[in-house]
Amino acid sequence: MRITTGMTQRSTLADLNRINERVTKAQQQASSNRQISRPSDDPYDAARALQLRESLAGVKQYQRNIKDGQGWQETAEEAMSSITDSAQRARELLVQGTSDTTDPAARESIAKELDQLIAGIKQNANATYEGRYVFSGAATDVAPYLDGATDTFQGDTSTLVARQVGPGVSLEVGITAESFLGSGSAPGDGKLLDTLRSVAANLRSGDAAGMKADLTKLDTNLDEVLSSRALNGARQNRLDAALSRMGQVEEATTRQLSDTEDADIAETLIQLNSQQTAYQAALKVGANILQTSLMDFLR
Amino acid sequence: MPISSFYGLQTSLRGLLAQQRSLDVTGHNVANASTQGYSRQEAVLSASDAMQLQAGAVQSGAGAHLGTGVDVQAYRRVRDGFLDLQYRAQATRLGEEAGVAQGLGNAELSLAEPSDDGINTQLSNFWDAWSDFANAPEDSAARQALVEQGSALADSFGTVDKQLALVASQAQEEYDTLTAPGGKVNQIATEIGQLNDTIKRFVTGGDPPNDLMDRRDQLLDDLSTLGQVSVEDLGNGSMKVTFGGPGDTPLVDDTTVNFPPALSAPSGRLGALRDLAASPGGRIASLRADLNTVAKTIADAVNDVHDGDGTGPKFFNYTAGAEAGSLSVAVTASTVRATATGLKGANDLALAASRLRGGDGDEAYRAFVARVGGEVSQANRQEANAQALRDSVDDRRQSVAGVSLDEEMTGLIRFQRAYQASSRAMSTMDEMLDVLINRTGRVGL
Repeated sequence: MRITTGMTQRSTLADLNRINERVTKAQQQASSNRQISRPSDDPYDAARALQLRESLAGVKQYQRNIKDGQGWQETAEEAMSSITDSAQRARELLVQGTSDTTDPAARESIAKELDQLIAGIKQNANATYEGRYVFSGAATDVAPYLDGATDTFQGDTSTLVARQVGPGVSLEVGITAESFLGSGSAPGDGKLLDTLRSVAANLRSGDAAGMKADLTKLDTNLDEVLSSRALNGARQNRLDAALSRMGQVEEATTRQLSDTEDADIAETLIQLNSQQTAYQAALKVGANILQTSLMDFLR
Repeated sequence: MPISSFYGLQTSLRGLLAQQRSLDVTGHNVANASTQGYSRQEAVLSASDAMQLQAGAVQSGAGAHLGTGVDVQAYRRVRDGFLDLQYRAQATRLGEEAGVAQGLGNAELSLAEPSDDGINTQLSNFWDAWSDFANAPEDSAARQALVEQGSALADSFGTVDKQLALVASQAQEEYDTLTAPGGKVNQIATEIGQLNDTIKRFVTGGDPPNDLMDRRDQLLDDLSTLGQVSVEDLGNGSMKVTFGGPGDTPLVDDTTVNFPPALSAPSGRLGALRDLAASPGGRIASLRADLNTVAKTIADAVNDVHDGDGTGPKFFNYTAGAEAGSLSVAVTASTVRATATGLKGANDLALAASRLRGGDGDEAYRAFVARVGGEVSQANRQEANAQALRDSVDDRRQSVAGVSLDEEMTGLIRFQRAYQASSRAMSTMDEMLDVLINRTGRVGL
């Protein structure tokens, strides 16, 4: 084949361009530390990277949701713990009141303390987390109980309040106070508030049989409070487990994303170096080929 | 018939002149070594007509032919028309692939993926905002953030859609500019028509104008990157050029230019531009349709959740058929709902919306990005492929028609030596005549 000056120039230039393109690509990968800078670099991996980024963002959001749920439940747990203490104190008072040696004046003062305990329990039930009532169910803007003699539960029991704690997993976080405190003596539901009101009334009237019955009811009520606490505790455990699982998922997803998207530094630098060497070699060879002609050897 | 004593001078003169012409051609080649589209030329030398000697010129008594030296027969353009055809076919393909790759590359850039500014990130922020809203439905900041984030997502769709539309309209604009009266196609056609006229006149006169023919071939090369070209030689140096479709009226027929061309199937760059810009059915239009589907999938999913049982307000508004471009948030911070129950802390709807994360909408968008990436990477591959093919044909063409400086240098020496030898022959002849004229018949002086 006859090789002409134009051909040599064209092919030298084309080769230089091609190598230069590779050098630029390697440089881009090294400086951005990404092996995919556009979808066309690797359409499949690019789509995968998008998915992993999205999953990672999701995981972070789930962690935030879980932490919010945890705060909510810690508030509830503290309140229920105080309520338990108050209920236990009420039981002690009741036992004291049933004793035959207690005179009406002493029973009256015990009844007064009981009234205070009831007010305290209602106050504890009105606990808030970030300005929201934790025992009102979905009606978080409404205090569960009003001050004073009315013990009717004001919140909502129909709608569940949940947090999304994982892809497709949501966990109910709310506990309504009605389930363990009840609505007082008006409906006479036999729950803690109803019992305590009845205890106070019986103390004042000195109804020994009533007080005896109250003691049994109070024990049942205490169990109810404890089982609500246990439910809340179990949910806390689930949230803790979900959080630690999300931590693992986050780690795994981050690693996968890095595998998919990030350039292998060692490999990229070696690539860059070898491409640069190739480029320099091509330049040198090109310079030699392009400069040399028969003219150099003619007188 | 005796032969003139001055006969040899004439022979040498012919040699001198012929070698001089060859040197002139060499000079022309060297000067044009890097001229685009130039074909090397050569002076075709052949022995001039011999002088016929009458019977008795040689010992046998027969006549004879005595050489009279050399003449330049023609100045020939070295070129292979078949390679031109191959080159143009490949140039058309390269023009098309390069045009498509460029257009799709721009479309890909407008996606800005993967990055922190693309729709993917906005979408993920949007689901985050729903979750935050579900965590604190009573919080007006969370409501406001959700509405803002919804608007940001809608804006992202709008921006990408606008960018895609821009790619299509730029392609259309370039197509219009190229094919407009006075545009590149028109200029080339007009010049080819004029060249046909000039070349025909010279060819009819017997002297093919090599450099004008090079110019015409160069114009045809340029034209072939724009669209498919077929050339029919009319036999008298003129040609018929069909452009932009095999059955179309010839763009240039001898000296007649038929403008505008029908462009029934242009291929080449024009084909690529038309393919990009066509609406409906064009490549960009098809991408936009896909983007619309993605926007609609997301908007419908969110709306279905947000309107509760179908009677509540929609979250997103859009115009059917232009979902991506027209997407907007239909609710305000006060009307966006976390629940249909009216309870302040209930979050059933918000929770359901945040559960859409990673669902059909996200998937549809990822598939869209993968499609764009796949098309671009295929277009790039095809462009590289077409480039390699065109280059290899160009190499073969250059191998025939290109100027080799080494070759020209060799020629330079060859012709110079031949010139020197001819002048030496002339000097010898001169010395011989000197003896004959000045020194003959002087015996005894």
